[in-house]
Amino acid sequence: MSTELDCRGLACPAPVLQTKQKIEKENLSEINVIVDNQAAKENVSRFLGTQKFDVSVEQKGTDFYITGKRGTGATPSQPSAAPQSDSEKKKIMVMIATDRMGRGDDELGSKLLFNFLKTLKEMGPELWRLVFVNNGVKLAIEGAEALPVLKELEGEGVTILVCGTCLNHFNLLEKKKAGETTNMLDIVTAMQLADSVINI
Amino acid sequence: MDDPYWFGQIAAANALSDVYAMGGVPKTAMNLVAFPAKDMDISVLRRIIEGGLDKMREAGVVLVGGHTVEDPELKYGLSVTGYIHPDRVLTKKNLKVGDRLILTKPLGTGIIATAIKGALASQEITDKVTRAMATLNKVTAEVMEDYPVHACTDITGFGFLGHLAEMVSGSGYGVRIKADSVPLYPEALEYAATGLVPAGAYRNREFRLFMVDFAPTVNRILQDVLFDPQTSGGLLICVAPEKAEDLLNALKAKGVQDAAIVGEVIAEPKERIIVE
Repeated sequence: MSTELDCRGLACPAPVLQTKQKIEKENLSEINVIVDNQAAKENVSRFLGTQKFDVSVEQKGTDFYITGKRGTGATPSQPSAAPQSDSEKKKIMVMIATDRMGRGDDELGSKLLFNFLKTLKEMGPELWRLVFVNNGVKLAIEGAEALPVLKELEGEGVTILVCGTCLNHFNLLEKKKAGETTNMLDIVTAMQLADSVINI
Repeated sequence: MDDPYWFGQIAAANALSDVYAMGGVPKTAMNLVAFPAKDMDISVLRRIIEGGLDKMREAGVVLVGGHTVEDPELKYGLSVTGYIHPDRVLTKKNLKVGDRLILTKPLGTGIIATAIKGALASQEITDKVTRAMATLNKVTAEVMEDYPVHACTDITGFGFLGHLAEMVSGSGYGVRIKADSVPLYPEALEYAATGLVPAGAYRNREFRLFMVDFAPTVNRILQDVLFDPQTSGGLLICVAPEKAEDLLNALKAKGVQDAAIVGEVIAEPKERIIVE
């Protein structure tokens, strides 16, 4: 399903808000947004990017035609928000808010969590998203033992989201080596779309 | 800003800031009001004026009059007059090599205001930035009086890098900024990443980008926060290096908690801003 949205004459943040409303309401796989200023072009493209759309922009006169596509054969590694053939497939989201599993011995806890991440791939294609928040973000940075495991999962098409506020808090924004930096809106949206959410 | 009382406070703090940035003491003010009397209840105007008046009291400023006109768009500001010894006027110029730069309020209020407009900001961050914008730069100005401050400006519509560029232009020197030491609201990074960046930030960037060298580690989102237009932002103070830590500690001791040393003046490259 494709749809067009004319946001000419609107100032930020209106174009982003209208785009957001549109894709949330109709679960679109393609959207075309027309804007007439640079700021709106940049903001709408950025927003669609965070919603897993592949974005292209064409300038016609003083207007910008922004096209966002997702969930088609063009990007098999991206999770599809509007799956067709695999609509039966469950979506499991794992939220990791710590760098250790359970309480008690810290050394044991970090070994357990590493082992957990290694074993996660046994969930198969139902493993949909891994979200790292708070101390969990330390698993996705330069030098982390779990990093190769996360990269492997990413290679298999699992989306890895790492909380930007948390990275910034720990001064690790530049050290993140796996996944995409994300925000609370994305995390909440992912929770809503997931069939089950596992909290660690 | 939806609350008229806070709107009045913030507008007044913003207007008073210029005098503080020069190292002066504001003494009198005139209200300047444009009000859509046909569409808005007059009680809104009363609350705005009350907010402004409370800030004037806090600043020790006397309201001596004003002008009101009818206009479709609400506007409120002050014309402020202050005192300063002619030998002690601080301007944007007069940087010296080695000087440290101190920024006194976190960046990101423009982006967060955009998120507030879109009803996407949390109450917590809304309250936090509202209070910060309504905070006078009075204490900062008083504290810096006792230190060898060479130049100062206040951060408003051109954003941090825009106002810094004004300082650097024509100075004959450059500056180096440590991006990770610049105080900012983490929420601003979050909102900027989802496309909630005000048009002014892009314009500021376009206007001054030719002067700025970003290290590859300074990503686009962070760059947008550094160019984000601020309302009633902090002061950017250029102080002799040997007293920079002392000034910073004195500011913190007086409650200017978010102040931080963000960079230094360098001899080369001239008139460029390096952000790393």
